[in-house]
Order: sequence, then structure tokens, then C-alpha cells
Amino acid sequence: MNKSRTSGLLVSLGVTTSMLLSACDSGSAAVNTAIPAAATEVATAVMGGAMTPTTGAGAGGSGGTVKIAVDLPVGGAEGANGIPTRQGIQLAIDQANAAGGVTLDGKSYQIQMYYLDDVPPGEQAHNPAQGSKNADSFIADPDVMAMVGPFNSNVARSMMAKLNTAGLASISPSNTAIDLTNPADPKIKDLRPTDKITYFRVCTTDAIQGPVAADYAYDKLGKKAVYILDDTEVYGKGIADQFEKEFTAKGGTKLGRDGVPKGTTDFSSIMSKVAATKPDVLFYGGTQSNGIPLARKAMASAGMKIPLVGGDGIVESGYTKAAGADAEGDYGTVAAVNANLLTEAKSFIDAYTAKNKSDQWQGVPQAYSANGYEAANIIIAAMKAAGKKDREAVRAAIAATKDFKGVLGTSSFDAQGDTTNRWISIYQVKGGAWTYIDQQKFEK
Amino acid sequence: MHLDGILLLQQLINGISKGSLYALIALGYTMVYGIIELINFAHGDVFMLGSFTAVTLVGLFGITNSPLTDPLAIIGVLTATFLITMTATGLLGVVIERVAYRPLRNAPKLAPLISAIGVSYILQNVGSAWKGPATINFPKIFPDTQYILFSNGSSDVRVRTTTLLVLASSLILMVALTLFVQRTKLGKAMRATAMDRETAQLMGIGVNFTIGLTFFIGAALAGGGGLLYGLLIGGVQFQIGFQAGLRAFTAAVLGGIGNIPGAMLGGFLIGMVEAMSDNFLDARWTQAVVFGVLILILVFRPSGLLGQRVAEKV
Repeated sequence: MNKSRTSGLLVSLGVTTSMLLSACDSGSAAVNTAIPAAATEVATAVMGGAMTPTTGAGAGGSGGTVKIAVDLPVGGAEGANGIPTRQGIQLAIDQANAAGGVTLDGKSYQIQMYYLDDVPPGEQAHNPAQGSKNADSFIADPDVMAMVGPFNSNVARSMMAKLNTAGLASISPSNTAIDLTNPADPKIKDLRPTDKITYFRVCTTDAIQGPVAADYAYDKLGKKAVYILDDTEVYGKGIADQFEKEFTAKGGTKLGRDGVPKGTTDFSSIMSKVAATKPDVLFYGGTQSNGIPLARKAMASAGMKIPLVGGDGIVESGYTKAAGADAEGDYGTVAAVNANLLTEAKSFIDAYTAKNKSDQWQGVPQAYSANGYEAANIIIAAMKAAGKKDREAVRAAIAATKDFKGVLGTSSFDAQGDTTNRWISIYQVKGGAWTYIDQQKFEK
Repeated sequence: MHLDGILLLQQLINGISKGSLYALIALGYTMVYGIIELINFAHGDVFMLGSFTAVTLVGLFGITNSPLTDPLAIIGVLTATFLITMTATGLLGVVIERVAYRPLRNAPKLAPLISAIGVSYILQNVGSAWKGPATINFPKIFPDTQYILFSNGSSDVRVRTTTLLVLASSLILMVALTLFVQRTKLGKAMRATAMDRETAQLMGIGVNFTIGLTFFIGAALAGGGGLLYGLLIGGVQFQIGFQAGLRAFTAAVLGGIGNIPGAMLGGFLIGMVEAMSDNFLDARWTQAVVFGVLILILVFRPSGLLGQRVAEKV
């Protein structure tokens, strides 16, 4: 009796452990179901087809169409990320087509969007493996000249080597992970095996977001003693590292640092420890879906009346909704200029709103709509400059982008593919919603 | 790190409040294991659906951002939420047993275990479809006053009304369960079924009814735990059952699975281990510490701390 009981228990434990492991390596493991690869491809192909806008039949005697590939997360819980960004891209393409498309090899072409979702069918969140499959589809289509996307840094990591080997240029509207373009990183060779730069981005990186948050907290808010938490993931730990470096370099004190992995929900003992160190600000590196709203509540319960500062991972309505009144007064940074404030962006915003009035945001551009528009416009300008239906010519023209005047201001790409237009917007929770309050340019 | 008495006392309180929730959930694991030797992996997700039921009810009572102030209204809402949530999850437990476990009762041990994992995934997907994937705010039902117990001027030990409520309710539920199992006829039937199902049946005990009842009670306790969790943590999400369930399961094994006092003791110990690990180590090690404890126990005392008292298992 006793014996059989123990062995039954060990079997159960084995199963528990494997459940735990699977929960660790995929974002929303609990709802993940294995989908046969073939089924996924068929499904995305159908989706891609359905999403494809009006196929430009091309003017008489023209060359037909060229395509801009787009990889964004839209399915599951990701609509708020992918849809507004895709609408920005679509607007750029429509405007270019209305103005006559592009002339390549002496023939006139209409531009078409080739869109694929990196949320696998039936799942909730972006998935690097799906991004990698999408890259294969884009590479296989000879009409694809360049790509806009992906949205998430971990998806970029799975797509970059394939796109680089194929010589297909991509511009991300929103990736902020530092190591994607860091020449000093020993793993950079895995991401760009050919040494040619094919990966570009129009937003700045966590190398800038973290330090700007630190400058802002130290100089503008007058905070001198910080306690740092991170969600132990690539993005969260990275931005917290950068914050810590800059904050202590300025003379601020780091009282302590803890990792709070996804799945932590009871933060009472962590926050009691933090409160005992008497910080005047708390920095959180991570995404809001990894439990920070609950930590914010526990902060208040532990008697801390100090603001929390975080990166763009918490500047989402999910944070203010779940953390409620306790989040009031918190700060967050976003690695983009606030397009709503730039005069150059006025006509973009008007056109965007007119076109998308009926969407769930009533046509108001979201955090990365302007970035999508900008990325697509840089590609269109590069195609015109290249004048050839040739991926390498387009890639070279994108790399040569200099002082491009667009809705994000004036941008060039540096030798690593990063934008030189390095603005960070600062947001604060006011009246239960993230509100733009300030912006800082990073000059170092 | 220097020893700070005030902070340690605070962590003791945190540990007890975490532990009382783990204990409530652990009871469901241990009762079910005691009676049919099944690790009911869906139990944590029943707890999650309990918290979802509670947050829905609280919304139906019209509580959004401002807590109630009238004491009668508070007691009324709390009692109604407790009763409805516990009944709903209790019935869910009965249905799960009837549909997913009873047909497999005489199958090899692995079959119901796999079935339990399947139910766990189904319940998580139900939760995700019901409330979406994001964390949702659990509104305060009553003003969450903080009482300062001790203070040395710069630091203090504080306890919230919610913590007191969680402690009181879970203690009441555990005492009620112990009395039920030890003092009532139905409790006796449960103990008899746990000891020897066939003989119990020969003695005229309705075995199916008794097993169903065990699932009802275990799931109802998890539902009550779900409500208390929502009040304590302030937010719920469809994956909370996984982590909470794993820790409660660890607690049940620590105490000696199948043993009711053991599950309570295990719950409080795990809560304490967590609080102390959070306090003295970087919090990123806490999960490793908790499951390290589980491994140590299985190696050195496979039957758990109170596991010898198998005769009294339920």
C-alpha cells in the first residue's frame, strides 16, 4: 500500500515537472496546443490572403506589383499591438499607390502588402517559431522587396538570420532589444551571418530607454535611492541593467535588486523587504503581463508611497486597469517620439484618422502606428532610389537612408542599422490612464 | 544581511497569510488523494475559476472602485459571495469527478492522472475565454485598513484587514472540515472509503456518493480560497491556478499526502519558506527554494512530515 502510493506520487511529480518546464519556455504555455506545422502554414496563408489589400492590377503596360512583407502580431490578445501598426503601414502603401506607385527597371509598379501574423492560430501571443515560418514565406516570394516588422524582439531574433542570408531587408517599428544590433555582442554573427546589414529599426533601443529613465528619475524627479525589480526575461533584465548602470553612475544609490519571474502573484514578502530599505523610487524592468500590476498593489499595501518607473513594457492600458488607483502617478518611457505632437505628423494623423475612424480606437494612432508608417515610407523611398526590382539594391538604398524627413522627425540609419533619431517619450499615469508628459533626446 | 526583528515579524505575518491560502488549496489535493489516490491536477484551476466566479459576483453586487462602508452590507456581500462561489466550484468538482475520473476509476493509475491534466487545460481555456488573458482587477469589498502593530519610529509591522479576514476564514473552514471528517456520519463514511473502498461498499456505504462529496468539499474549499486570494492579491488571471496549485500540491506532499492536518501544516510551512526566501535571497530563487524543499522531502521522508498517520487519512 505504502509502496504503491510512493511510486504513484513520483510519477505524478514527473508530470508536474514537465508541466512546469513547458510553462517556462513558452509565454502562455497553459493554452498552447501543438498545431501541426502544415496546418499552421495553411491557416496563415489563408489569413494572409484574406488580409491582403486590393491587388493593384497595375497600369497598362506596367510591371504589375511588388510587395512589402509585413510581420506583426494580431491574433489572440495581440490586436492592440499589431492592428494600429499595420494600419500605419497600409496608409503609407495606399498613399504611394495613389501617387502612381514606384518605377522599377523603367516599368511602373503598384505596391501590395503581404501580411502574415506571428501569433499562431489558436494561440494568444506572438511566437518566434511562427515568425521564422513567416520569414520563409516572405523569402520564397520573388515580388517581396523588403519587410516591415516584426513587433517583438524575440521574434526578430528568430527571423534575422534567415532574412540576412536571403538578403531581404527588414525595418522593425518597435524592437528595442540591444543585442539585435550590438556589434560587440559575441552572438551577433548568428543574427547576421553574412555581415551585411539587413536589419533596421526606426525606434531606439533599451540601451537608451533605460538610461533616459534613470536620467529622468534622478535629474527631473530628484530621486536618489532606487530599488530595482526585473521580470527575469531578456527585455526586462536588459532594461533594468541599463537603468541601474546609468542611475548609479549619476551618483544614485541602488538599495537592492530582485528578479520576480512570471507567475509570481503574491508580492507581499518581496515588498516588505523593499519597504524596509526605504527607497524613494522603484524601477521595474519587464512587461505588465508578467505580474507587475499585482506588485504595484502590494507596494501600496506595504506602505510605500513612492512612484514606480518602468519601460514601454508597462505603458499599456493593462497596467492601469489591473493596478487600479495604486498606479496613479507612476512613470513609463516609450522608445519613440510622440507623433501626436510633431507638426510634421499632422497630415499623417489626419489621413490615418479619416481612414480608420471605425476601428476600436476611433482612428487615433496608437504607440507604434507612426513607426509603421515611417518604416513603410522608408522602404518605398528606397525602392524609388534603387530603381530596380532587386532586393540587394533596395537593401543598399535603405542602408543609405540619410536625413529622411518623416513623421518621426529626421532619421538616418547608423552602421548597425539603428536609427539616429533617438527620442524617448515619458508618460505618467494620470486619472487612471497613461498620459504623455515629456520627451528627452539621448545625445551620448 | 543584518537581522531586522521588525522586518522578520512582518515576514512572519506575510508567510502565514500566504500559507493559509496554500493550506486551503492543499486540502483539496490531499482529500482527493486520500480517497482515490489521484493527484487531481485540475484542482488549481478549480481555484482559479473560483476566483473568477467571485470577481464576477462582486461586480454583480455593483462594487467597482469604491469599497462598501456599511458593515451590514459588507457582511452580506461577503457571505453571499462565499456561499455562491463555494457552491459553484463544489458542483464543478462533482461534475469533473463524474465526467473525467469515475469512468477511469478501475483503469491503470496513469489514466486518471492524464485525464486530470486534460481537465486542467480545459479549465484554463475556459478561464481564458471567460475573462481574457490579462490580469483583471479584483475590487476591494471593504475598506482595507492597515493596522500598525509595532513601530520603532522608522519601520513598522503592519497587518491589513484583508489579511485578518483571510486568516480567520481559512481557520474557520479548516476547523469545520476537521470536525466534519472526525465527528459526522458522512465524515466516517469518507474515512471508511479511504481505508478500503470495497469493504466500505460491503458495509453499505454509498461509495460513489462519498467520493463525489469529497470532491465537492475539496473544490468548495478551493473556491473559498479563490475569493480570499482575489481579496488579498487584488487581481486575478487565468493562469494563477497553475502556480498556486503546484505550491499547494507541494504543501500537501510536505505534510504527508492524504493527511488533513498535514496539508494544513504543509501549507503554512510553504508560505513561511516563501516569505523567508523572498526576504533573505534574491526573489528569483524563491521557486527553486520551494521546489528544492519538495525534492528534499521526497528523498528523506517520502511519506511527508505527518505521513505516518495513514490510518487516519482522508
